[in-house]
Amino acid sequence: MNFFRRLRYLFRRQATEAEMAEEMRFHLEQRMADKLDDGLSPEEASFAAQRKFGNLARIQEQAREAHGWGWLERLLKDLHFAARQFVRSPGFSLLAIVTLGLGIGANTAMFSVLNGVLLKPLPYANLSQLDRLYRATPQNREGHISPADFRELQQTKDAYGDVAAYTPANVSLSEPGHPAEMAYSARATSNLFSLLGVRPQLGRDFRPAEDNPGRDRVVILSQRTWQKRFGGSPDVIGRTIRIDGEPHVAIGVMSASFNDWRFLGGVDFFRPLAFSAEQANDRTSVMLRVIGRRTATLTPGNADRFIANFGARLAQEFPEANAETNWRRVTLQSVAAGPGAVTVLPMLIGLSGLVLLIACSNLANLLLARTMTRAREFAVRAALGASRTQLLRPLIAESLLLALAGGLLALLVAEWFGDWAAMRSTGDNGEQVNFIVDWGVMTWAFAASLATALAFGLAPALFALRLDLNATLKSGGRGTTGGRGHQRFRQFLIVGQFALAMVLLAGAGIYIGGLRDLDNRRSGWESRQLVTATIALPAGTYRDAAKITAFHRLALERLAALPGVASVSLSSFTPSFIWPEIRKFIVDGQDRPATGREPAAVVNSVSSQYFSTFGTRVLSGRAFHERDTAGSTRVFIINQAATRGLFGEQNPIGRRIAQADGDKPRWGEIVGVVNDVQSVVPEANPVVFQIYQPMAQEPRRENEIAVRATDVAPATLVDSIRAVMTELNPDLPVSKLQPADTTIYRVNYQNRVLRDMLAAFGILGLALASLGIYGVIARTVAQRTGEFAIRLALGASVRDIVRLVLGSGVRLALVGSAVGLLGAIGVARLLAAVYPSLPTNSPLILAVTTLVLVAVALLACWLPARRAGKVDAMGALRAE
Amino acid sequence: MADKSELFPGTLDMLILRVLSRGELHGWGITNKLEQLSKSALQVDEGSLYPSLYRMEEKGWIEAEWRMTENNRRAKYYSLTRTGRKQLEHEQALWDRMSAIITLVTQSA
Repeated sequence: MNFFRRLRYLFRRQATEAEMAEEMRFHLEQRMADKLDDGLSPEEASFAAQRKFGNLARIQEQAREAHGWGWLERLLKDLHFAARQFVRSPGFSLLAIVTLGLGIGANTAMFSVLNGVLLKPLPYANLSQLDRLYRATPQNREGHISPADFRELQQTKDAYGDVAAYTPANVSLSEPGHPAEMAYSARATSNLFSLLGVRPQLGRDFRPAEDNPGRDRVVILSQRTWQKRFGGSPDVIGRTIRIDGEPHVAIGVMSASFNDWRFLGGVDFFRPLAFSAEQANDRTSVMLRVIGRRTATLTPGNADRFIANFGARLAQEFPEANAETNWRRVTLQSVAAGPGAVTVLPMLIGLSGLVLLIACSNLANLLLARTMTRAREFAVRAALGASRTQLLRPLIAESLLLALAGGLLALLVAEWFGDWAAMRSTGDNGEQVNFIVDWGVMTWAFAASLATALAFGLAPALFALRLDLNATLKSGGRGTTGGRGHQRFRQFLIVGQFALAMVLLAGAGIYIGGLRDLDNRRSGWESRQLVTATIALPAGTYRDAAKITAFHRLALERLAALPGVASVSLSSFTPSFIWPEIRKFIVDGQDRPATGREPAAVVNSVSSQYFSTFGTRVLSGRAFHERDTAGSTRVFIINQAATRGLFGEQNPIGRRIAQADGDKPRWGEIVGVVNDVQSVVPEANPVVFQIYQPMAQEPRRENEIAVRATDVAPATLVDSIRAVMTELNPDLPVSKLQPADTTIYRVNYQNRVLRDMLAAFGILGLALASLGIYGVIARTVAQRTGEFAIRLALGASVRDIVRLVLGSGVRLALVGSAVGLLGAIGVARLLAAVYPSLPTNSPLILAVTTLVLVAVALLACWLPARRAGKVDAMGALRAE
Repeated sequence: MADKSELFPGTLDMLILRVLSRGELHGWGITNKLEQLSKSALQVDEGSLYPSLYRMEEKGWIEAEWRMTENNRRAKYYSLTRTGRKQLEHEQALWDRMSAIITLVTQSA
């Protein structure tokens, strides 16, 4: 009731004010009439009445206060006044708003990343019960799980809960009338969706029986695939889609929210995961990604223990497959962020915090300077009896206005950043990250902005309150210089800014340099003149090894015959990227290590021309040749690291190695040693032993094609390569058919997004710091005009003055850079820890960064210094 | 003219409510009535009368209506609401207890 009455007053203020005035007038007239009755003359009566009534305006003011909106009215008035102040000094206002907006904006953008990656829940029911289960090996803490192990895990339903598994693969999609395309598919146990608590938006979920071989020819489409390939038509349900050359019936379409980029977002098709009898008992093919839903009663701690015990039992019972493995459990939500999130996100937030700190100290300097110029005004107002609150109020209002403008700008920055990040980090399959500006981000922006603006708006205000009235008023114009401590505080801010800018710039520099080295790393191989492509032979057409090998031979033959082609190879992997296949080996004639503790190596199946095509040098022995076939002796080629590790100084040629599975090793002879290769991908714990085997002795359906051009531009070969492949099999999708360097450059795209963010922080930090030093030096010069005039009058040259000013500024920058150097070394260490294979040891970059900072400081000081040299000595002295 | 007394703080509201409890009055009327009832011992300052009236109107203790006086002049008449009446009883009780205590203390000390 009360509140509404107040509201009504707020909106009917004009009318209410008029009523109030009328009421007062009535009162006055009545009193006059009273006085007239007492026998006074009209003038006397009027005078007496008014005297009695007192100050009408003041009464009205008090009455207005009674209406309860006084504070709001005052605030609006203060804001209005503050806005006028801002408009009066547009330079200051713009600088302050932009400084605050950029500082908070950088911070808010990073918060939107944190929000989008970590805080926003995945779109699944009862998310807290969902786990991702890993079988950690010494090489890989996030190792996958074999079908046999998974089937044992399924038996623990009562103790742990439900589990589901999926395994992704590239498949070929060949609709009649369309060129064959490669798609990203996942085979999933039929309970995956129900376990996640999601249902297809259209059609139905998998049925349990569809987990069986022969009944698994059904497919559920992702929303994106449905829209992109099938035009979003509901008729798709029941349609036949040819995947890997085999007809599948479309039974469902997932919803758009299921396309979360953090988990399963890149998958185009889901098919049931049916194990053949042989697969079901396979303990060595670790290919399943396993998700669990804990029973509601199982606490996370007990679940951890259960999973660890389960893994320990497997390791004990099946050591040949599971020795040295540990099972572990993490929440699905934490996995969604990706392994880098835990290290990279805090780093980004921290660095954006440094930008904000620089912005804040700039702001502090700006506002402090402004308060100082108004010190006299404050002193006068205080002397006239303004209360503490009355003095503070306009300053608070200015801070509020500043916070509002800065917050808005920050939101714009965050919004723009979200678009940029989405554009820059679109995945190969069109999945996009989305960092949206939601309520949380908005709250963050305005809260941070308000806190910053109030802290730095009020600090100088409190400083102003401490002013010695007498001193300020007496000292005239020079009351604004500020004391020695004040001056020192400003210098401290500048030193701090440069230290922070140094950290930001050096950090960005180290990362940029490291990433460039990484992108250009062609260690043990080369990519010039190469065209590469990825193919996946449809399992339906190429059922057995003989069929696959026949295709390989034909393809190599036809491609080699193309004009302009120097050599051609097929392989499971290229040296440009990580080889994910890790196997364990034993050496003939050496003691066999304990089961499961055999040395591990990454394995690549390659065709005979592989080494010459990629330029990997054969150091001793021979390369593979066409006579290494399925029927001939098994042969291997190993790299230098494996040679050193397995054979020491001995000659490995002619020695025999075998894969460490089963009791009857299938020995193969080492026929050659090649140099080590290193990919362009930063890897935490790369497996250094690299072992090659002939493609014909273990044919694979997923292949990398590499074609080396003679002296023609590699791009010119693309069309003829595609023509050859289509001629061989029109159903075969050929993806990423382009010059190798194009594909390689693409792989680190996410790192380049990070690089650009770091670069932006560095540049922003430098810009803010140079603005800061410029501002402070310019003020100092203005304040020391008198001093310079005296110096000039006493015979100092203009150069002396300029040198004096430059020296004071550069000294600050140097001290700051030196302090920042320590921080920069810390950042380098941090980057080295996050990206172990990133080259981060770069004193050159630190040196260059220091030079850049000092150069910028010199420039920023030179402008005001020039002005100092031009001081009109006579004029300045006369003005004293 | 008798000595003019300063009011105890907080008592003006109660006095206004009391005056209004006998019927509606305009601001001038309230001033007159208070002077009259106190035999001119109380002189209510307009500077405190009107803010007090508006405050009580905000709180819903009194309500106002513009009407014509006998002299055909528009004036704002205030009257007590139900909550106002309750408030008056409440303040009256408080006051009675307070003055009784003060009297007790001052007489026995």
